[in-house]
Parts: sequence; C-alpha cells; structure tokens
Amino acid sequence: MASEAEPHPLGMFECQLCALTAPYSYVGQKPPDTHAVVLLEESYIMKDPFSSDKARFLVLGARCSVCGKLVCVGPDCSLFYSKRVCLPCVQENISAFPQEIQQDVEKRKGASKRPSSHP
Amino acid sequence: MPPPRTREERDHRDRHHHRAPREEEAAEKWDWNCPETRRLLEDVFFRDEDYIRRGSEECQKFWAFFERLQRFQHLKAPRKEEKDPGHPKRGIPALADLPRAYDARYRINLSILGPDPRSCQGPGRRLPPERVSEFRRALLHYLDFAQKQAFGRLAKLQRERAALPIAQYGNRILQTLKEHQVVVVAGDTGCGKSTQVPQYLLAAGFSHVACTQPRRIACISLAKRVGFESLSQYGSQVGYQIRFESTRSAATKIVFLTVGLLLRQIQREPTLPQYQVLIVDEVHERHLHNDFLLGILRRLLPGRPDLKVILMSATINISLFSSYFSHAPVVQVPGRLFPITVVYQPQEAEQTTSKSEKLDPRPFLRVLEAIDNKYPPEERGDLLVFLSGMAEISTVLDAAQAYASLTQRWVVLPLHSALSVADQDKVFDVAPAGVRKCILSTNIAETSVTIDGIRFVVDSGKVKEMSYDPQAKLQRLQEFWISQASAEQRKGRAGRTGPGVCYRLYAESDYDAFAPYPVPEIRRVALDALVLQMKSMSVGDPRTFPFIEPPPPASLETAILYLRDQGALDSSEALTPIGSLLAQLPVDVVIGKMLILGSMFSLAEPVLTIAAALSVQSPFTRSAQSNLDCATARRPLESDQGDPFTLFNVFNAWVQVKSERNKNSRKWCRRRGVEEHRLYEMANLRRQFKELLEDHGLLSGAQAEAPRDSYSRLQQRRERRALHQLKRQHEEGAGRRRKVLRLQEDVGSSDEDHEGPASQRADSVDIQDVKFKLRHNLEQLQAAASSAQDLTRDQLTLLKLVLGRGLYPQLAVPDAFNSGRKDTDQIFHTQAKQGTVLHPTCVFANSPEVLHTQGQEASGREGSQDAKDQMSCRHQLLAFVSLLETNKPYLVNCVCIPALQSLLLFSRSIDTNGDCSRLVADGWLELQLVDSESAVRLLATALQLRARWESALDRQLAQQAQRQRLGQEEEAESPAVSPREMATLSRELLQFMAAKVPYSLRRLTGLEAQNLYVGPQTITTAPSLPGLFGNSTLSPHPTKGGYAVSDFLTYNCLTSDTDLYSECLRSFWTCPHCGLHMPFTPLERIAHENTCPEAPREDPGSEEAASAAPQKASALQRPYHCQLCGEDFLFTPTEVLRHRRQHV
Ligand SMILES: [Zn+2]
Ligand SMILES: [Zn+2]
Repeated sequence: MASEAEPHPLGMFECQLCALTAPYSYVGQKPPDTHAVVLLEESYIMKDPFSSDKARFLVLGARCSVCGKLVCVGPDCSLFYSKRVCLPCVQENISAFPQEIQQDVEKRKGASKRPSSHP
Repeated sequence: MPPPRTREERDHRDRHHHRAPREEEAAEKWDWNCPETRRLLEDVFFRDEDYIRRGSEECQKFWAFFERLQRFQHLKAPRKEEKDPGHPKRGIPALADLPRAYDARYRINLSILGPDPRSCQGPGRRLPPERVSEFRRALLHYLDFAQKQAFGRLAKLQRERAALPIAQYGNRILQTLKEHQVVVVAGDTGCGKSTQVPQYLLAAGFSHVACTQPRRIACISLAKRVGFESLSQYGSQVGYQIRFESTRSAATKIVFLTVGLLLRQIQREPTLPQYQVLIVDEVHERHLHNDFLLGILRRLLPGRPDLKVILMSATINISLFSSYFSHAPVVQVPGRLFPITVVYQPQEAEQTTSKSEKLDPRPFLRVLEAIDNKYPPEERGDLLVFLSGMAEISTVLDAAQAYASLTQRWVVLPLHSALSVADQDKVFDVAPAGVRKCILSTNIAETSVTIDGIRFVVDSGKVKEMSYDPQAKLQRLQEFWISQASAEQRKGRAGRTGPGVCYRLYAESDYDAFAPYPVPEIRRVALDALVLQMKSMSVGDPRTFPFIEPPPPASLETAILYLRDQGALDSSEALTPIGSLLAQLPVDVVIGKMLILGSMFSLAEPVLTIAAALSVQSPFTRSAQSNLDCATARRPLESDQGDPFTLFNVFNAWVQVKSERNKNSRKWCRRRGVEEHRLYEMANLRRQFKELLEDHGLLSGAQAEAPRDSYSRLQQRRERRALHQLKRQHEEGAGRRRKVLRLQEDVGSSDEDHEGPASQRADSVDIQDVKFKLRHNLEQLQAAASSAQDLTRDQLTLLKLVLGRGLYPQLAVPDAFNSGRKDTDQIFHTQAKQGTVLHPTCVFANSPEVLHTQGQEASGREGSQDAKDQMSCRHQLLAFVSLLETNKPYLVNCVCIPALQSLLLFSRSIDTNGDCSRLVADGWLELQLVDSESAVRLLATALQLRARWESALDRQLAQQAQRQRLGQEEEAESPAVSPREMATLSRELLQFMAAKVPYSLRRLTGLEAQNLYVGPQTITTAPSLPGLFGNSTLSPHPTKGGYAVSDFLTYNCLTSDTDLYSECLRSFWTCPHCGLHMPFTPLERIAHENTCPEAPREDPGSEEAASAAPQKASALQRPYHCQLCGEDFLFTPTEVLRHRRQHV
C-alpha cells in the first residue's frame, strides 16, 4: 500500500450516447472496499468523488443488454429494469416494458425536448 | 405494503412514552420514530463495516429520506396493489425475461447484503421480520437515490465545465504550449481559466504542475474547486501549499501555491527542477512579487528549455506580457458577460458645496431609490457598491440602513478586509424574497471576492491605496481615481449571471481621463523586502534587474540605504550574516531582528509571541472600540508597557482558555472584542518562527517531550483521534451552508446580535478550534503562556530592550507640552515627521499619563523652567512598529522605552560637548544631563556594553552562517557565545538600564540641527583626554570636529558657549588607588580613574579589556621634567608619583 492515494484509475469511461467521461477504477458487480452491497449488472464504477468515505462508490454506467453499447446511468441515456437498456433500445422495444416504464419514458422524452434552460 | 391503519391513533397515544418495543408488543405497537427502534435498526444495518455507519451524516440523511418515503408511500400505497400487468408484448429475446408485474424494486441496480436479522443474535432478534424487510427496502431505495444524486452532480459538473467559454480553447492552449515555451492566456473573470487550464494540463498527462496565486485564500479555494471538478476532491492529485499549510503529497500532480512560496523554492533550487509546467495566474494584477517572479523566469527559461510557462491574465495590457517574453503567443478567451447598461451619474454640484471630508451618501441612496422604482421586487438581483475605504463604507452604511428600515426592501452589508470573517461571509448569504442585498465594498470585490447574483453595480470611481513616500519612510493611505481597467472590472461584476446595470458616479469625460491601468505595486510600495530577497537570491544589482517595468530609482535607493542602516547590507551592499538570516524570515526586517536578538537573551518564547503578534493585523475589532463592555473586559489584558505587551497578554490568556476543557474560546474572544481568527494566525506564525529559529540554530530544537505514563499517552492519542474524526465530519458536512439573511442585519454593532446565532452554534463543532488543536502542541504553548506570567521585572526590561533595538530607529519623542493637553491631543515627533498621533487602538491613547514625566517626581530645576527642559530620569520614547498616514499620521503598535539609556545603546550617532553634559542622538534629540560625571560614566559603560553585545551577535551569526555552509548535521561543538557571557551581559545591561540620572529631553529645531557641530578644527582647543571612555583611542573627527571615540560616539563636537569655562573648574582630588593628588576637571578625573594602573580590574567577562589595560596605559605617558633631578622622562601620572617619592 503506497499511500492513502485514491485507487488507480483503470481507464476512462465514456458514454457512447452523451459522451460523458469519467475515470473508472473498477468494473464488475462487487464494488471494492465494501461488502455490504452488490450490483445487479456489470458496472463501471469510480469512488464517489463527492464523499470522503473511501468505501463509497458511484456507478457510472454499464453495457446495454440489447445493443451492447456502453452507456451512462443518466436518465437521458439508459434505464434499469432488471437489466440495463439504453434509451434508444427501450424506445425500439417499448412494448416489451410494463406501462409504468412506458409512461416514464414518455415523460423523459418530453423533458429532454425542452430547450435546456438558462442557468 | 399498506401501513397499519391505526398508526396515527397510536402515534398520539404513544407520543409521551416511547419505549423499546418488546417482542410481544412489537407487532402491534410499532413506531418508526421511536429512538429506541431506530437505534436497534442502526445496530443491525449501520455497523462499522456497513455502507452507512451509525452516527454519520449519511445516517441522518437516510432517516430524513426514510420519513419522506413513508409519507409518500402512505399516500400512494392503497391504490393499484394488484394491478394487471397488461400483458406486455414479447419482443426480442434479450428482453424476454423482463419481469411482467411492475415493481419499483426492479428499477434498482443494486442489492444489500446486510445481515439476516433472523440468524443474528442480540438486538436484531427483537425486530419483527416484516419490519426488517420494510426497512431493507427503504434502504435500497435510499442507496439508489444517493447514486442518482451523485451521478446527477457529476453530470451537472461536466455540463457546466463544457459550457465555460474557455472549454473551446483547451486544445488550442495545449497545442500552443507544445510549440512554445511561454503562452499567455488572456480572459476575463468568469471565463474559467483559473479552474480549467490546470485540469486541461492534468488531462493531457502533465504531472508536475505548479500554479501560483497572489493570495493564499485563492490557493485553497482553487485547489478545492479543481479537486472537486477533476473528481479527486478527496484524493491527493490536487493540492495547495501556503505559508502554514500544505496538502501536498507524493501523489500530487498539481499544486496551487503563493508567489512568495514559489520564490522561496527558487531560492533553494534556482532552476525549479521539480516542475514541468508553471502557471502564473493573475499577472495583470501586477503584484510586487509577481513582477519579480516574471523577471526571474525570463532569466531562467533559456536554461530550462523543457519548462513550460503559462501566464494567465485578464484582458488588460496583454501585449506587455507577451512582448516581455519575446512575443509569446496569446490565446485570448472571450469572457462570459451578459450585456451591461452603463449609466453615468456625475455628482458635480453637491461635491463642491460640501467640501467637508465626509462623503455625501445621497448619490448612493438615489441609486437605491431608482432601483426600487424601476424594478419590481420579485425580479431578483443584488447591488454591489464600490467605495474607496472603510470610512466611506460606514458613512453610506448608516444612510442606507436608515433607508432600508423605511422601505424594508434592502439588507445592507459592508465588505472589507478588516471585518471579522463571519461578517465577511454574510455577503454570501441570501436575502429573503422581495428583498435585495446591498453590499458596500472596497475594491476587494473587484477581483478577490466573487459574489453571485449581482445585477446592479455602483462605482464611486475612487480607491484608497497605500502609497509610499520614500523620503519619510511613510506608508500613506490615499484616495485616487481608479483606472479604466478597474472601472471595467467593477462594471463586469454586474453581468455575471444576467444582464445588468452599472451606475458610475462620475462623468464619461472623467472615465476617459482615467489612467488605462492601475499603478503596479512596485511603483507604490517600500522595496526593502524585495531588495533583501533579491540580494539573497543573488540576482545581481537590483538597479539593473530586468523588471517588466522598473521601480522608481529613488525607492530602490531608499530601500538599499534602509537595509544598510539596519545592518542587513554592508557598505558594499553585500548581504551581511544578519541580512541573510533576515532574508529567510518571511517578516519585516524589524521583526526579524527582534527574533534574532530575543533568542540570544533566552527570551525566545516571549519574543516569538510578540513577533507573531506584530506581524498580523490587529486582532481588536473596530466595533469593540466604542463598546464599553468589551473595553472593560479587555482592560486587565492591557499593558502600560505598550501594545506589543497587550497583544502578548491577549495571546497568552487565549491559550490558557484554549487549554482549559469546556471553555469556549470563541465566546471569550467575542466578549473582549477580539477577532479570534487573528489569534489563530498568530499561533501559526509563531510556530513558523520557532521552526525557523530552530533551523538556524538560534534556538535549541524541540525539547524531548517529558516522559509520560502510558495512561496519559493513551489519553492523548484518544483525544487526537477524536479531533481527527471531528475534522473529517466537518469536511463531510461540506462546511458552511448559505443562510437566509434577516431583514435588519445589525452589522457593525455585532455584539449582542452575534450572541444569538452563536450560542445556538455553541454546541456544534468549532472547526477552527479542532484544527488548532491538531496543528499545535497545546501543552507547549500553554507552558510558554504560563511562563510568560512569571516574567521577572528584569526579563521584562530585557524584552523591552530587545524590542527597542529591533524597532530602532523607529522612535518618537513625546511633545514637550503633552502633559497640558487633552488625551486625544497628544502629539509625538519622529525624526522625519513632526506631529504624529497615537493610533486609537494604542494603549497609550487611553492613558497617555504613563508617558508624562511631570508629577511623577519633583522638577529638578528652579520653578521658572518651562516643561520642555524638565529634568527627570524617567523620560520615555516610543518605539513603534509602523507609521501609517490616513487622515492623520498614526503611530501603530508602540512600546515605551527609557529615553537616555535606549539612545545610548541604539543610536547610530551620539555627539557630546566638552563635559558630556549635553548629548545629541542621531542629530535630532538633545539630552541635557545635570551631572557631567555620571554622563561620562554612562557613555563609557554604553560603549563597552555595545561592543560586547555586537561581538556576541556577530559570533552567533558567523557560527550560524558556517553551520549553514557545512550542512545541518554538524552540530556546533560549542556555542559561539557562552550562556555565562550572555548572563553577564544581561546583568550589566540591567544595571545600566537602572541608572537614575536626571536629564532633559527635547527634539532639536531644524535650525539647531543644522548648526550642530563645531566642524573640523585646525587647532584642537579641547584637550584630548585619553582613557576618558575606557580603552578607546581618540582621533579628530573629520567633519563634525571633536574626537571620534567609536563608530557612533563623537566627543566634544557640539557647538556650545558654556564648555569653554568648564575647562577651568579644576579642584584637588586624590586617587583612592594610586594616591595621586592633583587639581582635576571632572573629566580628567574620570580619565585618570579609568586608566589608573593600580585600580582593581573588575571588568567581568571581558578578558580582552583586562589584558589590554597595561599596554593602553602607555597612552597616559607624558613628558615629565623633574625639577629635583633635572631629568626628562616619559611618565604616567603614577610613575611621576613614584619618581617623586624617590626624592623624599
Ligand atoms: Zn450518457
Ligand atoms: Zn441499446
């Protein structure tokens, strides 16, 4: 153990839809430094940059289980419903999802169509 | 899951007696709000190894979330429990296994592994399983929520970074840097250069980046911001380094540091091998050290072709910087400013009618009115008013607050550097709805402090700046018109968040007449410290250094002369040993000298505190000056020795409070009108001084800690751990949150009004206190503080001697007629400046009688004598730390010192008349002594003490210099100055100080000072008196006349009409040692006594003097013709006697 330095980043995560980039330090279902939580998908993870607790992690994204694109967990790029699906794939297969999800996707489309409001 | 129907009813019933649910009761009497229930759940789920830990802030957040969730589910739960999934159509195989019945649970991509309550013993067993799973489910939702929240922040951060104007220039900057050694990045405030350029470098793979800032505070905030944005907030890639603090580690890739600190690094390693890229930020501000750094870099770059430099500047005078570095390329980034309307409102008429010094607040009120009339209150937007100084701020503050209390639409807040930190922070709080903030600020808000939400700016067009008068060595705070560049900066503050309005209280033609840029600091301030630093960095003659814009030659010459006067430079302008030591102490030369002298007299501890106290801003808050309670509470701490001693007492008392458990130092300070922040600064500075003195062998290193028993060691470790945890918790809490301001903010009279919120805060963590206790060894500090209470009278006298010698020649003499004046009209004269007054914070301002000699003893002369010739042995001088001219010239931080002895010990020149009853010190202070015999004795002692003191200091510094050369590992074999020698010297100095000799003291008039000396004499009328001043040989002084006794003492060079007679006043006297019986003038008598070979030598500690005596005696030999034997001899008087006896 060299120091209290942060875990060495494995690489840069880049969302193939929105181009969000961030360094990730782990890929998998068992985030390091904690035994209390497991993930239900193969996730790209970084240490939560907004917390001083080094056990806290942040899931950046995962692969779409339909098209295999690497996408971020942002609401404009993907959703999770027992598996990760990118929003384009959700829309293509919208009828495969329960109504709650369908409504939710409709709402998101509406929200993202609005011009981004001035800060 | 539907909540139990009866919950509300039960809530009411149980409210008064929450109890732990016992197993049998648990099922029916379940209450999530019961603390015991929560504790049980926390015991099971929030253990130390769990994702959330009990007692953490996260844990509190969870419960808040939990309550919201409960309410939400309660509203929502009853409907559609068993809704038909509606047969979603089967799609592609990848989605074939999607759960049909919707459950929010399926939308969460994580799962909790926590303990199974059924299997675990202890507390968990008492929880009903269905409650546990309900809790578990809430926890899951919470974690999902927390993930979404954190990801949202990350995404927002990236969006904001991408939206910054500079974002489109990142690649161009990197590309230009690849091709050139120096790049100028020019962009206005808000373009993001300070935060983004370092990150572009990081992303491009640079790992040894330094970014300099003119201000310490910017280093910290930028390191935090860049760490946050580059997602290494809690990592160590981004760090800062300032005078007392460093977060730098081996992993640090980019460090923010002050310019001063970088210069010190260059001093150690002139080629800066530790850096790949150097960013020099805010070069346009033209700070002294920044200008110097640029000069250093220009010389350094050819020798370090691999070092890249980025100069960052506002769009001010860019070509100056570019051309200074052989036309370095400029990347110009447009700022992000919304359109700003400029309204010129010159105020001619009123300005001329009231020519009084006070500012007219009406034009400012008119703007407030105009805003109220023109803009509806629901349109938010605050007002920032630029005023020239604190007096102007308080004038407008009074008027604006009166207006605000009428309209109820404004909260008026001052902002300047002398405010307490808490009051400064108020400007970041938000005004309630329908109310605007009106911030009255000095130019601190031009570039240093950025306040969001400003929509209106009022620019008075004025600024008060320190200007330096090299002739008078005087700092002056003067009001100037601002420059066009400053006016644009001020205007720009209105357009950061939306379109804005800037009201200029001057005419457009005034604006056109403004200088384009502010005067650079190098043309305004004293250059002593800069010259000293240049000398110690061996950059050659400061006069020929290639500054970007050279300083005025007169300032340079004054600085060089001053350093020579202070003994930091020798006559060839080379650094002396004391000078090189002073160059390494980041303090004023005067204070550096005190530190060195103090450590020699084993007074290091008190001198460290005093030096630190004199190097920070006064800790006394302004508001407390008029507050009677504060004044009373402070009184016991005041010292009639002078301000440095008052500060000393305050610091020591504060340390005592700190070291007592359960005592709230913050409250203690507030009660006494003391800004605690300054005391923390003192503690930091004190520690740094101590380390410096230790490093330089002037202070023996940290004493080994007293052996402790294992219990107290354990105790101490435990305490430190607790402190660390407090600090961490505070950091997690992300510090201060914005508050909503109250409509009637009583700023300025912050006493009672502080008590409210502060006492609420009292039980919360005082993070400053925690940091203080982590950084300092409180026990050591306390030991120093309590030993300060035991300072003996002798030690105090020596301490004053040390301060006096450090401060010399900054001396002031009380005006002769002060005792007849009101307290507020006391005036003092320095050599260069007549009629200075005491600063209102000065101890003597309230009790000037301490400085009066009248009344303390009967006047020594006939009644007709006026006060100015009063004979007393208690005349005092004021040694002061600085002379500050605002509306009056003020003496700041004064100590009183006994006049005669201090002048004899410190003065660079002392001139006497024939019988030494009249002395003139440094050509401006005249002392008349009744008794010429004691005058001569004092002079002789002073000569001897000064020589020994000087020699001890020289040896000490020479040894220190040698150690520095040889490296630290060579421990000095023996101290250069033995403790015994110092003890003897101290004792004799004290005897000297205790001498009671009546004298008068006055400042010479200009005419008198001009006609002081007899001038070179072709025939010396006065007799040469060998041995009058001990062993010194006398030689005629070439310009003053008389005889030069030593480098400072000239005997009998003063013009006078009385000394001629004293020659004839001989009377018979018999030497008690050799029996010589002859008519003597008093001086001749002393001369004989000093040289009488039979006299016992009791000169302690100065063997040289003793051994030198016999040879020196030959100087007394005179031709003697014996009338009895008719022979001629060369005899000393004793030999004459001996010879005569032969004939008897
Ligand atoms: Zn995305
Ligand atoms: Zn997809």
